[in-house]
Amino acid sequence: MCLMRTHSRADLTKTLAMTTPFSPPLYMQRYQFVIDYVKTYRPKKVIDFGCAECCLLKKLKFHRNGIQLLVGVDINSVVLLKRMHTLAPLISDYLQPSDGPLTIELYQGSVTEREPCTRGFDLVTCVELIEHLELVEVASFSEVVFGYMSPGAVIVSTPNAEFNPLLPGLRGFRNYDHKFEWTRAEFQTWAHKVCRDYGYSVHFTGVGEAVGHWREVGFCTQIAVFQRNFHDTMSNAERLEPSVYRLMYRVVYPSLSDNNIYQRTLVNEVLYEAQHLRQEWLSRMNMDSSNNAHFCAPPLMDVFQHGLEGGTRDCQPVYQQGGTICVPLARVWSSPRVRALCGSVQRLREELQVDSRVRMSADGTVLILPAAADDEDDEEVEEEENVKAVSGVANNVEEDWDRELGCYGNV
Amino acid sequence: MTGRARARSRGRGRGQEPAAPGAQPSVQQEAAKPVMPTPPEGQLVGRGRQKPAPGAMSEEAMLQISAGFQQVKIGERGGRRRDFHDSGVHTRQLMEHVKESKTGVSGTAIELRANFMRLLSRPLWALYQYHVDYKPPMESRRLRSALLFQHEETLGKAHTFDGAILFLPNKLHNTETVLCSETRNGEKVEITVTLTNELPPSSPVCLQFYNILFRRILRILNMQQIGRHYYNPDDPFNIPQHRLTIWPGFVTTILQYESSIMLCTDVSHKVLRSETVLDFMYSLRQQCGDQRFPEACTKELVGLIILTKYNNKTYRIDDIAWDHTPNNTFKKGDTEISFKNYFKTQYGLDITDGNQVLLVSHVKRLGPSGRPPPGPAMLVPEFCYLTGLTDKMRADFNIMKDLASHTRLSPEQRETRINRLISNINRNADVQNELTTWGLSFENRLLSMNGRVLPSERIIQGGRAYEYNPWTADWTKEMRGLPLISCMSLDNWLMFYTRRNADVAQSLLQTLNKVSGPMGIRMQRAIMIEYEDRQESLLRALQQNVARETQMVVVILPTNRKDKYDCVKKYLCVDCPTPSQCVVSRTISKPQALMTVATKIALQMNCKMGGELWSVEIPLRQLMIVGIDCYHDTAAGKRSIGALVASLNQGMSRWFSKCVLQNRGQEIIDALKGSLQAALKAYLKYNNCLPSRIIVFRDGVGDGMLQSVVDYEVPQIMQSIKTMGQDYEPKLSVVVVKKRISSRFFARIDGKIANPPPGTVIDTEVTRPEWYDFFIVSQAVRFGCVAPTHYNVVFDSSGLKPDHMQRLTYKLCHMYYNWQGIVRVPAPCQYAHKLAFLVGQSIHKEPNMNLDDFLYYL
Repeated sequence: MCLMRTHSRADLTKTLAMTTPFSPPLYMQRYQFVIDYVKTYRPKKVIDFGCAECCLLKKLKFHRNGIQLLVGVDINSVVLLKRMHTLAPLISDYLQPSDGPLTIELYQGSVTEREPCTRGFDLVTCVELIEHLELVEVASFSEVVFGYMSPGAVIVSTPNAEFNPLLPGLRGFRNYDHKFEWTRAEFQTWAHKVCRDYGYSVHFTGVGEAVGHWREVGFCTQIAVFQRNFHDTMSNAERLEPSVYRLMYRVVYPSLSDNNIYQRTLVNEVLYEAQHLRQEWLSRMNMDSSNNAHFCAPPLMDVFQHGLEGGTRDCQPVYQQGGTICVPLARVWSSPRVRALCGSVQRLREELQVDSRVRMSADGTVLILPAAADDEDDEEVEEEENVKAVSGVANNVEEDWDRELGCYGNV
Repeated sequence: MTGRARARSRGRGRGQEPAAPGAQPSVQQEAAKPVMPTPPEGQLVGRGRQKPAPGAMSEEAMLQISAGFQQVKIGERGGRRRDFHDSGVHTRQLMEHVKESKTGVSGTAIELRANFMRLLSRPLWALYQYHVDYKPPMESRRLRSALLFQHEETLGKAHTFDGAILFLPNKLHNTETVLCSETRNGEKVEITVTLTNELPPSSPVCLQFYNILFRRILRILNMQQIGRHYYNPDDPFNIPQHRLTIWPGFVTTILQYESSIMLCTDVSHKVLRSETVLDFMYSLRQQCGDQRFPEACTKELVGLIILTKYNNKTYRIDDIAWDHTPNNTFKKGDTEISFKNYFKTQYGLDITDGNQVLLVSHVKRLGPSGRPPPGPAMLVPEFCYLTGLTDKMRADFNIMKDLASHTRLSPEQRETRINRLISNINRNADVQNELTTWGLSFENRLLSMNGRVLPSERIIQGGRAYEYNPWTADWTKEMRGLPLISCMSLDNWLMFYTRRNADVAQSLLQTLNKVSGPMGIRMQRAIMIEYEDRQESLLRALQQNVARETQMVVVILPTNRKDKYDCVKKYLCVDCPTPSQCVVSRTISKPQALMTVATKIALQMNCKMGGELWSVEIPLRQLMIVGIDCYHDTAAGKRSIGALVASLNQGMSRWFSKCVLQNRGQEIIDALKGSLQAALKAYLKYNNCLPSRIIVFRDGVGDGMLQSVVDYEVPQIMQSIKTMGQDYEPKLSVVVVKKRISSRFFARIDGKIANPPPGTVIDTEVTRPEWYDFFIVSQAVRFGCVAPTHYNVVFDSSGLKPDHMQRLTYKLCHMYYNWQGIVRVPAPCQYAHKLAFLVGQSIHKEPNMNLDDFLYYL
């Protein structure tokens, strides 16, 4: 939706402008950073720690770029429950299933706990998370995320304390729940230790830069991107049921990788195409018979756009055989939508032959559809139904409700 | 009866179709009613005063309902929320004669099952409502919340708070609790928590809470919400030819019914389309060429409801922005962004066709927190799915047949579906968990109850009386060969036909002649007039040939295209008031069916001219029955139409009618007041006296509009009657008739689950305690499930026993002259519907008053 609204957005920006002079707002820039990363490295399994209101997950759901498993973890189950339904598939996801599979899971749990089902991921994001942990917890966080889970990559973002003097009106930390805010040196010290301990390499970046000579304080949000140095052994491991975390929400998106959905979508597309060819043929026949002036010989195929590229066999005409209309499979195959769904005619034929909704000729080259629409006048059927007594017929005694009420002749 | 007429008389108006998934009711209904709890009257208070139950509601569970409570507030503030269940309209207590009992006695008992399940709550269940006050006052809602919940040990873990009102499952020790909190700046704040209400299980807020809880249950069962109902996306069926996808689902409501709180659930289906507006535009352009495309596109698309790809919102297409493409920009925040970039960055969606024009929707919904609507929305066709059926599809017999084969469920299938939902609820662990947290559960079977089958009526026709087969509720055969009550002879009448249909016209004429004799209709030969198959020439033919003495005009139409039909009706109902009968040639082209069709046409022609067909015994004298219905034209700028019909004689065989076009901002009854007075004058003229009883059957009352009928329409009706004279005080009853309801009843006939027989009355258990209401199954259906009709007597000074009210209503269902059988609603409602439909669909003007005494609209 893109309403031409001015009020709410403007208000929002105004309040943001007072605290952070960034446009787009800093939190958006952080999300965008992750989205850009996903776009470049195309991880299949992504876990977001401290997902809170699931904003990042919701964005990644749209900017999927091949993500197949999207997991959110937060310690606060209430906030998860409140927002989890925003991650449900949309109606359009059912109407037009995507090609690749996607499962979204939400867990209640702590990043300092070891949970077997969080291992084997390609990317772990911890956006503005560690500063909410006590310093002692940061150590176990490092151990759990890098040592135990050992994902392919980790993105950690945290405030840069050196930037704080530039934030107007700020005393102390940026949020009352922050346990610490690191300088660049502190952050990098921690990060390098992690790399040494667990076999990762890191590079530093950030979002939100000050202007002019203030640039030297660094980014407002500092970001460390860790890459694992050794080859992973777990990514193809079987998914486990959670044993420490609590599963709050799980949804499997409809996709063409589900065989039933694939079959249904393909057959719908084929029948749509076939029915249209049939209809087209029928209306041409009708026109021919009503314009008897010039009778067309069996309709020579007028050039059929998609038909040309496939070669000689594509110009096969639709024809009638007894009470049926025969649509050559090659004609259906020429539909770009069908092609997109199905790699080869051979596969198309195989898929259709096992489907009960499609009638095909024995050799699998022709789809068979009924010629005539069912007649609509089958309703005037005279039928004798045996009479069953339901209830007595009103007795013949004349009733007079007025008299019963004792108010007859009132006016 | 022509095919068109049949389709119409039994179908609904186009405008009344449920528009589309999620479509908001476009008309803002009556002012908001406070949905907030005032302690409910009478019988309910008793339970509310019971001791509080120690219940452990988790914070999570409580949170689920807070959204709903916010809705309550919205209802209070801006009036955006409608009470669809008309709860809080207490009409029964004002009617002395039904205070004790509103049940009838006639007929034989029948065992039924209804699509209701009892909600069982833990004993002593209640919600406690507190008002929270801050000293000094706090602005921020988040801060208020944070300050309050520093006292979780006092308030308990389970709570919901919207900034002012706090709901707790447990009662605090004191009625007024004073708490002290401290802000982060060290400011001291005094918080006063005062008990304002104790909500018993059946209070409106609790009922609302149950409904919210149940919606959550449906979500746990992976159902998708579209509009007000929930559908199952995992089990669709498709009609590939038109890219239709149909989702099965359920309509559910939890309400306080006669003796218990119950869940009423019925099967519903949603039609979706896996075709975008852009796909549609492509194929339309291919069909009609570049030149005609803009016009055709506007005609086809404007008014349709679309569903956007990137969220679940629906919009109505109001216009097409021919000068806009996705490359145009709009203001987002302070920056200009093109639609193309917006969708790419926001949703990762690529626009494949950069030249598509955009769609415009005028959003009526208010902006966030009650701000004015944010202006028109511009939509990209590629990201918009079409929804619902187009008129073209609806006219396509094959699509409708395919649809019906999936959506028209036999009683057995319907019961099975509902039972499957019940077992899903009872088997799903998450659902059970959710329910137990709240101390609630559902009875795991459908409600069993008793109904009564009213005796079938004797049909009186020309001094003879006969009975009909009570199962088919039809007397087409029985009336064959019997003379009608009164017949108009056809001395001067015209038949118009096209050259192609000259033969069918002749055979129709002969057959009419053959069938009219036994009915008692004297028929002279019609003047035959040929017209060219064009609308202008048809109109010219009418203008040249229809004279003042013309009694009847029969027009044979070559196709069932609407324009010619409209043209005939417009001319003959407004400009040159003459009864007319249109027949589509196809209907009379089959020789074997011609006798049946001609019989129906003859009957119809006779009533249109003022003849009477049959009657039933009406044991009340000086009675005038009034029927009111309206027709809402959804197309932009069209007005609503109200129709009123009123009986003129004892046998209910003559009807006076008026049809009015509603002005903007006017209630339909304002326009109909004059009509009622005219009806009373007509009654006086026919009977030399005014009626001593008036019974108004009001149809076309939407969900949530009952209050306005009670508060506004009834007084208006009384006022209107008063104008006939100061001492004229007839007894008045006003009955609200509702066809579209989700209650269903199943009978067991010969060991099989079947529809209840015609005449089944239900007036216990599933009725509402605060109303004088009942259900009647009056019609018989050959396929699918019969839909009962709900009657709600909202005002009654007649003193009539409920039994008589029910039977009178049923008798009136026998009196619709366009159907030789029992219909779904009392004849006056069906007549009013027919009239409003004719005016709304075809005439668009008030009909000529010379026709007022005739059933010309049949």
